[in-house]
Amino acid sequence: MKSIFGLFLVLAILVIIPIVDYAFAAGDEPGQYVDRRVIIWNLFYRMMTVAFTVGAVVSGTIIWLVWRFRESNPKATPTPYEKEGIW
Amino acid sequence: MGHHSNWAEWIYIGVVISLMAWVGSEAWNAERLVDHIPADAEVIKVTGQQWFWTFEHEDGTIEKGELHVKTGKAYKFEVTSKDVNHSFNIHDYVVLMDAVPGRINTVWFAPTDVGEFPIQCREYCGLIHYNMRGTLYVEDGST
Repeated sequence: MKSIFGLFLVLAILVIIPIVDYAFAAGDEPGQYVDRRVIIWNLFYRMMTVAFTVGAVVSGTIIWLVWRFRESNPKATPTPYEKEGIW
Repeated sequence: MGHHSNWAEWIYIGVVISLMAWVGSEAWNAERLVDHIPADAEVIKVTGQQWFWTFEHEDGTIEKGELHVKTGKAYKFEVTSKDVNHSFNIHDYVVLMDAVPGRINTVWFAPTDVGEFPIQCREYCGLIHYNMRGTLYVEDGST
């Protein structure tokens, strides 16, 4: 129960912070308009950062798994089929 | 059967949901800011047709192939087409909106840099689509 509460607390904070941050950031008086280039390109850079980080984590995990569980790994343990010789 | 602790799975779920919530909220916020058209924006009617752009200002002035605007002012483009689908694009200001016959799409911007910037069509519209271009002239609005 506590772990789920903690999980949702973390989620709530991670969602609210960027919204509150930007809600107060924009000015709308004449001569003080948001620059769409800045907003869009910054979003692009942030999304690219997330994408490459997730990509690195996922592909790094897969590479580690493939390397660790290759048959020739000294730490490899025989499967039940190889141990008992039964297929 | 031994009962195994599943804290690792909960952490994984938490990380994935957090990432999706963060990405989603950032994107939603950016769209909110970019789509909020200032009330004092000057309306410019943009009409695309094979193969040129026509701009009509609020005071009735019509420009073909070129558009003159001033820094420090907001402009709202009402984009449409007379024949086939086009797409109105000012690359340097990240303005991109489809021109669809029978429909008016809206996009706005507020230029800040004085100079000349290319306007181009970004939806294949026929033989001379590649050359359906214009020029945006941004003049100093403080004078």
